[in-house]
Amino acid sequence: MIAFLIKRLFHALLVMFVISLIAFAIQDNLGDPVQQMVGQSVPESERAALREELGLNDPFLVQYLRFAVNATQFDFGYSYVFHEPTTQVILRHLPATLELVFASTLLIILLSVPIGVYSAIKPRAWLSRFFMGVSIVGISIPVFLTAIVLIQLFAIGISWSPFPADTSWGGWLNGLISTEGGLPAYGRGNPEHVFGTWYTNFTSLKGLTYLILPAISLASIMLPLFIRLIRAEMLEVLQSEYVKFARAKGISMRRIYFVHALKNTMLPVITVGGVQIGTLVAYTILTETVFQWPGMGLMFLDAINRSDIPLIVTYLMIVGVIFVVTNTVVDLIYGLVNPTVKLTGKPA
Amino acid sequence: MFKKTLLASAFGAAMLTAALPQAALADNTLRMAYDADPVSLDIHEQLSGGILQLSHMVFDPLVRWTKDYQFEPRLATEWEQVDDTTLRIKLREGVKFHSGNDFTAKDVAWTIERLQRSGDFKAIFETIDSVNVVDDHTVEIVTKQPDPLLLNIATYIFPMDSEFYSGETDSGKAKDEIVKNGNSYASTHVSGTGPFKVTGRQQGVKVEFERFADYWDTESPGNVDHIVLTPINENATRVSALLSGDVDFIAPVPPNDLERVEADPDAKLVTMSGTRIILLHMNQERVEAFKDARVRQAFTYAINQEGIASRLMKGFATPAAQLSPEGYAGHNPDLTPRYDLEKAKELMAEAGYEDGFSITMMAPNNRYVNDAKIAQAVAAMLAKINVRVDLKTLPKAQYWGEYDNRAADMMLIGWHADTEDSANFFQYLTECPNAETGAGQYNAGNYCNPELDKLLEQANLELDKDKRADMLQQIEQGLYDDAAFVPLHWQDLAWASANNADIEPILNVMNFPYLGDLVIEE
Amino acid sequence: MTTSTTPSSTTPSPSTPSRWERFRDSFLLYSFKRDLVAQLSLIIFILMVGAAVLAPWLAPTNPYDLASIDLLASELPPFWIEGADPLYVMGTDAQGRDLLSTILYGMRVSLVIGFGAVLLQATIGVCFGLLAGYLGGRIDAFLMRLADIQLSFSTLMVAIVVGALFKSIFGGATYSDYAMWLLVLIIGLAEWPQYARTVRASVLAERAKEYVDAARVMGLRRRRIMFRHILPNTLSPIFVISTVQVANAIISEAALSFLGLGMPETQPSLGSLIKSGFDYLQSGSWWITLIPGLVLVVLVLVINLLGDWLRDVLNPRLYKG
Repeated sequence: MIAFLIKRLFHALLVMFVISLIAFAIQDNLGDPVQQMVGQSVPESERAALREELGLNDPFLVQYLRFAVNATQFDFGYSYVFHEPTTQVILRHLPATLELVFASTLLIILLSVPIGVYSAIKPRAWLSRFFMGVSIVGISIPVFLTAIVLIQLFAIGISWSPFPADTSWGGWLNGLISTEGGLPAYGRGNPEHVFGTWYTNFTSLKGLTYLILPAISLASIMLPLFIRLIRAEMLEVLQSEYVKFARAKGISMRRIYFVHALKNTMLPVITVGGVQIGTLVAYTILTETVFQWPGMGLMFLDAINRSDIPLIVTYLMIVGVIFVVTNTVVDLIYGLVNPTVKLTGKPA
Repeated sequence: MFKKTLLASAFGAAMLTAALPQAALADNTLRMAYDADPVSLDIHEQLSGGILQLSHMVFDPLVRWTKDYQFEPRLATEWEQVDDTTLRIKLREGVKFHSGNDFTAKDVAWTIERLQRSGDFKAIFETIDSVNVVDDHTVEIVTKQPDPLLLNIATYIFPMDSEFYSGETDSGKAKDEIVKNGNSYASTHVSGTGPFKVTGRQQGVKVEFERFADYWDTESPGNVDHIVLTPINENATRVSALLSGDVDFIAPVPPNDLERVEADPDAKLVTMSGTRIILLHMNQERVEAFKDARVRQAFTYAINQEGIASRLMKGFATPAAQLSPEGYAGHNPDLTPRYDLEKAKELMAEAGYEDGFSITMMAPNNRYVNDAKIAQAVAAMLAKINVRVDLKTLPKAQYWGEYDNRAADMMLIGWHADTEDSANFFQYLTECPNAETGAGQYNAGNYCNPELDKLLEQANLELDKDKRADMLQQIEQGLYDDAAFVPLHWQDLAWASANNADIEPILNVMNFPYLGDLVIEE
Repeated sequence: MTTSTTPSSTTPSPSTPSRWERFRDSFLLYSFKRDLVAQLSLIIFILMVGAAVLAPWLAPTNPYDLASIDLLASELPPFWIEGADPLYVMGTDAQGRDLLSTILYGMRVSLVIGFGAVLLQATIGVCFGLLAGYLGGRIDAFLMRLADIQLSFSTLMVAIVVGALFKSIFGGATYSDYAMWLLVLIIGLAEWPQYARTVRASVLAERAKEYVDAARVMGLRRRRIMFRHILPNTLSPIFVISTVQVANAIISEAALSFLGLGMPETQPSLGSLIKSGFDYLQSGSWWITLIPGLVLVVLVLVINLLGDWLRDVLNPRLYKG
């Protein structure tokens, strides 16, 4: 167990080392940060002086060592754009991303469990088939496209009138296929301050409206996956001896479905869900770009465009840590529950 | 925990750092969103729009521009040219800094000395030889040579509180040091004479201002008591924030959203023809054909500036045929865009390039409004005179490096004259490049016409306004005849606000809203 | 983990009928004939690939030919909306390019990148998978650890990071010159672990079988055993993931282009078309972004449906996760 954790810690350090090394190696190509800091009419001599001052002219190894020493003390340097420690910039953008992920996770759980269970219990019902059909369409729509369509439908609105608008039924039908629009589509409005860098959208109805479209978009990509997974696991459990036995014992079907079967379904679902965290982070970058949601993903893309090297490096390292940690936790849970998995890290 | 408390030590009194208290609702609060918040509170750290906007809120300049390019006295009340190189300035009396110190002539001298140390400003202030304090409210500025633009430069002199910025901090650093990208005393502490005091600042989140109770300009109609400035970098979000009522005033408004703002009954839009020229340089050193004036002319004839302005820019640009916008001394009203495809083809044929040639082009993709799309449209237009364009668009962080290397045959650039004067355009964009003097620093065309340079030299020493304007207009004519570059348009400016904020009178093409004078109707 | 080979498509029957006869009698064809969704998907897929391949002959204009573009004809709506120009069936984009033509050419780019990337990831993945599965030991541990780490970052995340790194290393200008091949490389590098894991699992199962032992006893060389004996028996799972992976690669390319890390607007793929149109959504020109979007979804959907059908028919046990 301890050996396992040490090994994982070693992995984490290795990942971070590689990321920092690569990020450092490319910094010359990312563009000249000095350009971002001075006015246009500043003479070249001034720029050279500033470059020297920032240590951009030092040899690669010197720059890297300076960075590495500071990094061990959680000092990843100053953002060139924001003029403040990169950790602080990230802390400021973190709550927005976390709230978005939280909201869409909530959506995923609230929708995928009932739908998955239903389509496992009644695999042949037309509703189940409908859900399965929708879920494969869902997998095929890239998250940014879902987001764009949602904006068109619910923020801008569409008005269609294929039916005669002057009759009452025509007007009604037209209204049915048209959408109102008006939902906020960009940014997160005026979130309320909680403490530190944490501003929240969850305290007011207006704040929540800003979350609706981004959260649905982000959820849309994971939802089909989870519905299919829950359905598959549930089907397997329902066919197991254990459920047959419970049924024979005369336990009510409802109790079997929602207590016994579901409990056994959830374990693999949680572990797979944990592994999907990485995918979710990647999708937040896309979702946040479309909705201009001021979280870490949008910040990362901006940092690339502005060649804010310290910020890029810090982001990648922090994301790397998040991945390693979640994977370790998932493996631990999996190992605890399923003792046949050896924790020594040998490929199973 | 991460909030910085500003000024607390300076004013002694406990400052409110939390968001505006509910009791202050009776006050007029302006919530505004710019694309960025000021990078620093030190107004000498960077020469940028954001810093100048901050300067006009927290400080006052000696003189400031009116909408029609006249000088309005602010901390300078009157001025006279004593001799060719000396300007005597009378300063306003009874002005107080936010710290409580009195404003005197020594603050002006101190500020100019500091400007000459600032990397970003020193080029502008190089012309000043010395500043003499005559008495508490009189200074004399002596220039190295006669300088017709001294008053233009005076719009950049925002006297700082010399006493407040003197001495050392607890950690032994000089309070007046100018540090780029770091924490200096001046970057987090501020004391000016301006209409607003900074009461709270969270970098990247918001800056809070409160009207300065002892502000000298009691005649100002301004009635805004508090300002909350929030940076919203994303265009669509900024517009949405205004339309949903989360903020009262936004700038800039992107062209794609102009209609959206205009259609909203609760918001109003103000646009002005701007002063930033967008143009393309044709590099004569890289392409032999560009040495032929006929080819360069053909390029200017082939490009439909009106089309770009009306289609891509949605009318949000003024088609240009020269560098100086209307209102500038050098603006030559005779020069108009010359789109004429037939003429362009003729000229190409005359020059022997009927079958055209291939060139490379580079443009930034996140610097100017629609920059990459403009470049793409230009490439398509040049294809019509058989010029094949290999276009690359880059983020600005990478673009300027390529620009300095003159990495493509045609390069797009936008330029705003810091001095609001035509000579600045010529000096940076069309003068014969000279690495030693820094002339033609951004002349990526390597265009060189010594006669025009000589004319510019004379104009730079000419104190007679009319004579000078005449010279500058001659230069524009010369550049036009030579087709020294491909002018595209002046990028328009746009602001939008809630209906009850009367923003129109306080706006100007320099894009420094004079928020101290803003009236909010109850 | 075991691989169940398909009933008749891969095992030759004793009477050795012709290839066509074998195919005609196969379970594959039988189930295809009965599956309407699969038939429809295949037809649409073939139509789309055909349209993309024939784009230079089908498209009304050549979007790469700048001389044919008229800025003054920009943002025209598709034919069924008022104000349309019959010359431009699907309308025009903000530069005045004919949308139908750009979509046809864009689909070409997307498909080339999709198939190219899958070819690359399959090559890398199959080689690594064979090596890991057959050789085992340290090589196995190292390769699978690498795959684990990469998968834990998620393929899209890896692609975004590698894309950002490449764009930085080469600089924006060079990047857009070779964007198509770099994207193939990026997506190929990001997604090989899927193949490696699947192949390794199949190899482990095959290796335990008698015919491999027999081959080894006969003294055949390792490489020969790996490629000639084991590989053919792992083909059906490879085939199944390949369809899904093509769909994934097309989506990844679109995502990268949407983030500005992919194809430049001058040589648009479906993703960069969607991106460039997105700016105009608010001003009412929805077709510039939504029509290419619809094409992308249909393309990916039919590939996914075909993949689903194949999975059901061949029914290999794929590595989960």
